[in-house]
Amino acid sequence: MNETHTHTQTPFFADKQEKLAEILSRYPADGRRSALMPLLWEVQREERYVSEERMRELAEIVGTTATEVKGVMSFYSTYHDQPVGTFHIQVCSTLSCALAGSDELFDFLSNELGIVNGETTADGRFSLQKVECVGSCGTAPVVQVNDTYYERVGRGRCRHLVDALRQGELPPVWRERGGDTVGAAKAEPVKQPTDRGEG
Amino acid sequence: MSDQVATAAKPAPILSRHDPRYEVTMYRYVGVEGAHTLDFYRSHGGYEAARKALTSMTPAQVIDEVKASGLRGRGGAGFPTGVKWSFMAPPDGKPRYLVCNADESEPGSFKDRYIMEDDPHQLVEGMIIGAYAMQMTFGFLYVRGEYYLGTTRMEAAIAEARAAGLLGKNILGSDFSFDITVHRGAGAYICGEETALMNSLEGLRANPRLKPPFPAAAGMYGRPTTINNVTSLTSSVHIINRGAAWFASMGTDDSKGTKLYQISGPVARTGVYEMPMGATFRELIYDFAGGPTMEPKAFIPGGSSTPMFPWEDRFLDMPMDYGTLAKNGSMLGTGGVIVIPRDKCIVDALYNLVRFYAHESCGKCTPCREGVGHWLPRMYQKLVSGLGRPEDVALLESVASNIKGNAFCPLADACIGPVQASLKWFRDEYEYLAANGKSKYAKNDWWQA
Repeated sequence: MNETHTHTQTPFFADKQEKLAEILSRYPADGRRSALMPLLWEVQREERYVSEERMRELAEIVGTTATEVKGVMSFYSTYHDQPVGTFHIQVCSTLSCALAGSDELFDFLSNELGIVNGETTADGRFSLQKVECVGSCGTAPVVQVNDTYYERVGRGRCRHLVDALRQGELPPVWRERGGDTVGAAKAEPVKQPTDRGEG
Repeated sequence: MSDQVATAAKPAPILSRHDPRYEVTMYRYVGVEGAHTLDFYRSHGGYEAARKALTSMTPAQVIDEVKASGLRGRGGAGFPTGVKWSFMAPPDGKPRYLVCNADESEPGSFKDRYIMEDDPHQLVEGMIIGAYAMQMTFGFLYVRGEYYLGTTRMEAAIAEARAAGLLGKNILGSDFSFDITVHRGAGAYICGEETALMNSLEGLRANPRLKPPFPAAAGMYGRPTTINNVTSLTSSVHIINRGAAWFASMGTDDSKGTKLYQISGPVARTGVYEMPMGATFRELIYDFAGGPTMEPKAFIPGGSSTPMFPWEDRFLDMPMDYGTLAKNGSMLGTGGVIVIPRDKCIVDALYNLVRFYAHESCGKCTPCREGVGHWLPRMYQKLVSGLGRPEDVALLESVASNIKGNAFCPLADACIGPVQASLKWFRDEYEYLAANGKSKYAKNDWWQA
């Protein structure tokens, strides 16, 4: 870690007392520690990672130690103890996506951005990460950029996505659900019953 | 249900979506523009089941109705939901919690996601019904961290419901009060295991807890707790609306009702399909998903943890129910079917899954931490990269059988089942690869334009 330790940093929630109170109020009084995960999310969304300084602050808020906070953070895949890029590109690599070309997709992005798994570009704009199943198997392959899913990312869409991100913008999502997800009126068989033995 | 009625008078169960009596219910409004709003939901009959339960049924009657429906837990284990609900001790005036498990992380599963994104009020209503039945004082909805849209839609739906008096104090004018907090996970498959999920909700590392005590005795903060899957709860909405007999009119002897099946891999129309339990894999794969787009050789029946079957008529014609799958050495799981094409090396496919479980092993117990977390992925890596020896296949088999049944929680067995099934059906691919240093099926580029 190459963050600079500034112990004079303003506490994260100093000017967000209302938000802090709201998060704490979601849990019962004897369950204050439950607020740890949402507090980590809150910090990370704004600062793109959670520094050791912030870990100490959160520990104090929920009544535990910074080591415990780090222990919780490191258990989960999506909390970062180092800053990620402006665009954190996560490529699902589990079976259904792999069957739809996620390995090739990942290699394409890696070549395009000049970084390998887990790295961030020198200008801090892009991070690239292989992740495990994100629940988009029916619309594989899927690329998650920050909190947004881009689904059925074929070669053309991947090119388009990279170009848009280079311009500094998240392109609009193309929402694809496949299957039945077209409303009941259309949710009827696409084919008459199969004869047994066909196929 | 009236078992006394002569069997001759009893109509045949609905076992296929082609049956004209079958109606899509849970997934009816998914994909419909604007369906996630309270206005839409209420104008399409929403919250009528909650009203019926809260104003005209006792909690015990709600539990009895769900028991009579035959609904079994949709998260994978298939435990009867009504029976689970009846395990809760009578209220003692202290807090008791309903937790909805929306940490949908099993590869091949994506049904809960679309319910939360497109029909979040259905889940809110299901939680109200479950909470009323068990007289819960508070609810938690644990959504996996990646489902950002689903999380925001659920939060918005809960806020709308609260503003409309559907959550909070004296819901719908009854004396029942209940509210829900959405808790966002942060990427950990193990949180699908209910005791790990509770640790995560308490702000701890999500290691599973020893059972007993079971959650109904000591769960969240040591208080009585019940954890239900998203679609177990949404099923209860329609059971209350239409009655247990309606739900039980669908399905096979041990598996009742309607269920969301998912299909992915190389088929024409991947996605979620709602079908009556007892419909066959063939009906899902061919009639609804349009059939394979590449020559298939195997399918995973219910999410990555469920042992695969080779592509044979006797397996394709199995009804997708709990008992049949168990009898055939697999599990219904989440109902997430993954089709595997002939040209995908089965060892490579399993390496992909083993790597997933290795990544998700929580580290609590030795067989899983070392065996699943380190040994298995390394052995697979060795084979896949062409460095295997013929005796490695037997070694792999021995490691797998030594892990099986010896781990603290089901995660390790969830990895071993698929490994063993692949060895059972496709041992020749393992042996070929170990002997020749290259796969029978060269790696293909399947990335579409």
